[in-house]
Amino acid sequence: MADYFEEMGWQPLADGEAPDSLLHFARLLMDFGMFDVLGEDKKLPPPAAKEAVKNLEEKKCSDADEKCTICLKEYTAGEIVKILPCKHDFHPACILPWLEKTNSCPVCRHELPTDDENYEQYRKEKIRAKQREAEIENLHNSMFS
Amino acid sequence: MANNIAAQRIQREFKEVIKSDEVAKCAIRVELVNDNYTELKGEIAGPPDTPYEGGNFVLEIKVPETYPFNPPKVRFITKIWHPNISSVTGAICLDILRDQWAAAMTLRTVLLSLQALMAAAEPDDPQDAVVAKQYKDDQEMFRLTAKHWTAKYAGGPGGNPDFEMKIRRLTDMGVEEDQARVALSSYNWDLERATEQLFS
Ligand SMILES: [Zn+2]
Ligand SMILES: [Zn+2]
Repeated sequence: MADYFEEMGWQPLADGEAPDSLLHFARLLMDFGMFDVLGEDKKLPPPAAKEAVKNLEEKKCSDADEKCTICLKEYTAGEIVKILPCKHDFHPACILPWLEKTNSCPVCRHELPTDDENYEQYRKEKIRAKQREAEIENLHNSMFS
Repeated sequence: MANNIAAQRIQREFKEVIKSDEVAKCAIRVELVNDNYTELKGEIAGPPDTPYEGGNFVLEIKVPETYPFNPPKVRFITKIWHPNISSVTGAICLDILRDQWAAAMTLRTVLLSLQALMAAAEPDDPQDAVVAKQYKDDQEMFRLTAKHWTAKYAGGPGGNPDFEMKIRRLTDMGVEEDQARVALSSYNWDLERATEQLFS
């Protein structure tokens, strides 16, 4: 049994610990897109983790480099730009305010880690759910093809 | 205001939209409304093979000071019959204008997405519940109604003598024309039910 819970990413409640019903409620709202109703920015994922932002790669632009897709200005040679893990690059002054607002790349939506525990938990569960779906699909295919 | 990030970015986008192919094809356009780039007027041509074909739809675009970190506020000025657009206020239900916005998107992306929305409505995520219901229950009725609205408000082709006659019956009774059109459209052009609703 323990393995099953581990696989699902669930942790048993400690003695005297109550389930975090607020978290469950928040998840329910997210799943049904209810944050829309509650306010404009509520559904945006939280800001990128401070550590991840601090450790972003940088590079010096050469002449051949293109433009920053946030301000649409062309890079000048020698200018320092920040590079996200997805390899999209931006001016520091352009990408940092965005990452303070939400954790994804403005071009491809690649997600950076966040400092928000609830959101990270929610995201882990989403990924697991997807994996499970793929596994079931594989199983199904191997059984019926 | 004219020197902040939002204004500079809009200036650059302006050139981008003006240069793009879609403008050459007369499909989308943007115009300045004031000098400080906070308000713009957008125009979208109704997509071909839709009830909006031949119409020209005007949009109000308000650029927040925090643009491009927050999306522009967009609504239809031209009245339109569409499940994801309010037939009364022109308010739009489109994900990229809300939580799916990203700083790398531009006015061009927004206008092209709206054009795509006009070509493929999403009735399960409606802005106007009455229109969405008609869209799901009676596609042909929806098509005729949307086409009539395009002809009336967006300069589209073709009239509809039957619809016109019913509207006249109501205006003869002192109902305001737009109001008569909304009531009839909402009740699948059933004159009796529309009258009942207007005078109840
Ligand atoms: Zn930039
Ligand atoms: Zn990216």
